[in-house]
Amino acid sequence: MARKKRKTRRGGRKRRRSRRSSFPWGRILLALLVVVVGYVAFLDFQVYRQFEGKRWALPARVYARPLELYAGLKLTPQQFADELRALGYRSVSKARRPGQVARNGSRFELVSRPFLFWDGREASHALRLRFASGHLSELTDARSGKAVALARLDPLEIGSIYTARQEDRILLRLEDVPDTLVKALIAVEDRSFYQHHGVSPRAIARAFWVNLRSGEVVQGGSTLTQQLVKNFFLSNRRSLWRKLNEAIMALLLERRYSKDEILEAYLNEVYLAQDGQRAIHGFGLGSRFFFQRPPKELNTAQIALLVGMVKGPSYYNPVRHPERALKRRNLVLKVMLEQGIISRSEYQKARRQKLGLVRPRAGTSKSFPAFLDLVRRQLRRDYNESDLVSEGLRIFTTLDPQLQWALQKSLARHIQPLLKKHPELQGAGMVTHSANGEVLALVGGRQAGFAGYNRALDARRQVGSLLKPAVYLTALEQPRRYNLASLLDDGPLEYRQAGKLWSPRNYDRKFHGRVMLYQALAHSYNVATARLGLALGVQRVIDTLRRLSVEQPLNPYPSLFLGAVNMSVLDVTRLYLNFASGGFDIPLRSIREVLQADGEPLQRYELSIERVIDPGPAFLLNRALQLVVQEGTARSLAQRFPASAGLAGKTGTTNDLRDSWYAGYDGEKLGVIWMGRDDNQSMGLTGSSGALRVWSDVYASAGAVPVQMPKPDSVVWHGVDRDSGGLADSGCDNTVQLPFIESGVMPPAAPCASGAARRWLPKWMQ
Amino acid sequence: MNERIFCLPILVMLSLAGCSGTPPRQGLPPVVEGGAPSSEPAARVGVPRGEEPVVVSPPQSGGGAVVALLERADDYRRSGDVSGEAATIERALRIEPNNARLWSRLAEARLEQGQPRQAEQLALKSNGLATGDRALQAHNWRLVARARWALDDAAGARAAEQRARSLDRR
Repeated sequence: MARKKRKTRRGGRKRRRSRRSSFPWGRILLALLVVVVGYVAFLDFQVYRQFEGKRWALPARVYARPLELYAGLKLTPQQFADELRALGYRSVSKARRPGQVARNGSRFELVSRPFLFWDGREASHALRLRFASGHLSELTDARSGKAVALARLDPLEIGSIYTARQEDRILLRLEDVPDTLVKALIAVEDRSFYQHHGVSPRAIARAFWVNLRSGEVVQGGSTLTQQLVKNFFLSNRRSLWRKLNEAIMALLLERRYSKDEILEAYLNEVYLAQDGQRAIHGFGLGSRFFFQRPPKELNTAQIALLVGMVKGPSYYNPVRHPERALKRRNLVLKVMLEQGIISRSEYQKARRQKLGLVRPRAGTSKSFPAFLDLVRRQLRRDYNESDLVSEGLRIFTTLDPQLQWALQKSLARHIQPLLKKHPELQGAGMVTHSANGEVLALVGGRQAGFAGYNRALDARRQVGSLLKPAVYLTALEQPRRYNLASLLDDGPLEYRQAGKLWSPRNYDRKFHGRVMLYQALAHSYNVATARLGLALGVQRVIDTLRRLSVEQPLNPYPSLFLGAVNMSVLDVTRLYLNFASGGFDIPLRSIREVLQADGEPLQRYELSIERVIDPGPAFLLNRALQLVVQEGTARSLAQRFPASAGLAGKTGTTNDLRDSWYAGYDGEKLGVIWMGRDDNQSMGLTGSSGALRVWSDVYASAGAVPVQMPKPDSVVWHGVDRDSGGLADSGCDNTVQLPFIESGVMPPAAPCASGAARRWLPKWMQ
Repeated sequence: MNERIFCLPILVMLSLAGCSGTPPRQGLPPVVEGGAPSSEPAARVGVPRGEEPVVVSPPQSGGGAVVALLERADDYRRSGDVSGEAATIERALRIEPNNARLWSRLAEARLEQGQPRQAEQLALKSNGLATGDRALQAHNWRLVARARWALDDAAGARAAEQRARSLDRR
């Protein structure tokens, strides 16, 4: 059957062949012409579509908070210098152009860059600044000498959101590109750019000759237009067919568009470097990537370097092959001199310069993967992934680079020396603004610069004593039963539940007898806490935790009082924000605004708050947490920070020293630190020997702001005798000041009270 | 001027509480009534175990900056952009997070934005910081009342109005 079929086919072919002699050549030519014209029209359409529409998929750009400058701002000259450096401001003797700064000790003079914010364009300012005692003390206009109330710097760009192997670029308009760069590019890559119509026959002929002689393709006669077409529309294969397509499309492009439009597209398209998974395209991003500044601020040598790299971005990569890159740059400079683009003196000066790469200074890097991870998670809730990687959205976040660097450094400083003994030691931390819930800093592991397991968000670990404030708050919310001086029993406890015996012990393996409620919290006594919890009831404590936004599964067992709950740094932050804010639940935010590529506001993430603790109990708990620092488990802070700071917080240590926690706040920000091992084994640190020290360093370098929690009208202060827990007067010499809810239960007069208090108190209280 | 007169007795009472029965080594409770002057010299402490002494800055006050932002917020309000107004006040709050007037102003903006629940909460927050400023407290309670009316909470609204009136009388 098969054979038969073949036969008939063969016969058919014969027939066709015989007809060929009378084939009409004219028609075939016509058909060919139609095909060619159709094909050209198809290419023309492609050129048109790609060029007219959105030319590039632009990743969303992510910015840190802009630094707001005003007299009175808490900032040291060093911090300011670090920030300017990260922003790529250049040190000069006299600041004349945007992006330049002149420093003289604690005085700065700078010209800021203009920037488009959600509320419009912040113009470039010429500013004079003076710092004194940790503050920006003077801010004046450098030209008029008048005081400036407020000025905003351009924000630090901290990343972009792209897919694997995505191209990244910062779009430039032609007027954003220095003239010298454009001239140098044309001189080096395509001298007849302004004369040809897309292809240069002379250049092609030359290349053809060279290639013919060597028997392979060595030289390309490509014009800038052809290069653009190649990158824009075609694959990287070097075939004749592609060459032909390239030439046709180049001609079409030139027919439809002006030289300036083509040049602008080229400047944005050209590939310059690879940064991990990200391809660096265009002179805008290239300039930022290698020199930390926009093209307008580049000097001649830097321009020559970038232009030279176009020929072979990886071969002439100045980071990996500095010598090659330098040679190439000097060649470009020579061409620039020959073509009259630069003068001889400019040439001499530029030639002598080093490569001038500006890499982020150690400790002030701009790579914050853990924070970006949080931003991405928030964005994914509200946006399509495809919009995030292609629409060029501009994301304004809450990150404070100063605090971020401080947090990274402090964690590293404390983990590094311990790695010999505990190679598995890890850490994570988060700092938030306690009035508005903005996330200021976030570290997800001991190597803050590397993306990976984000422990701050994803490692849920037992919190231990960090949970105790919820137990004490539950008590303080019953002012008719409890106050900060209420005496609790820290003697041996045996509790039977469902046939099982539970007998909690203290960390120091001792019992402390009768202690005041605040002391039990300050010293983190387990037994007294357990007994208090039992008296309150597990359900009541669970209700409190739920009200304070703890969403974890909670087992209704007494072990809950001692922190048998797994939470992440982020979860703990949410819980402690209730305390640090004076009783308000504040949703955490890592994004302030999202703008479209053109600067139109798309979305604003607004501050929202909700009171969850009454002012009275919130004030009492704040005082108790301050006493943790003044005389409890966090008292090492009291040796380092003045009492006027009024720092508050709580340590947490879990069984066998598996987790070291500290959650604490000053008058402005809440910091939560965790240290431990991923495999949940012991690592030998308590809350105060580990996490607390990290916290202390963060607040020492960032600066502590005093806690200011105004006393509610319902609260009164009393001196209390530390020995008896009774109300003290001038007859007592060992007292502590405690706030009480006026309508609640009061302690009896202390034995040492000499009479004033006795007379003052009603008889039944004495 | 009025506010200072209100503050005075509280400060006196506080210092008395601090003196009676308190030996010198126990300082005043760390409560600050009203803003501390920014010219106050920064406090220093001894240096334990080779650690740097930490200088605690007085609370930040961005007087001129906050005034400038409030003027901008007024511009937004006049042009009918309440959302821009609110965002500008939020910007001011980052500079002075303990400024009761800013919280109150934000509460007003939220009310205009059609967010009575937030307006109520922000007014309560402002009241927590407005100790001694009865006029501002009364104003905040009126905001709370308006928010509660908008939330159909008539009883709550009347209670808030009552509190505003009692503050007026005192």
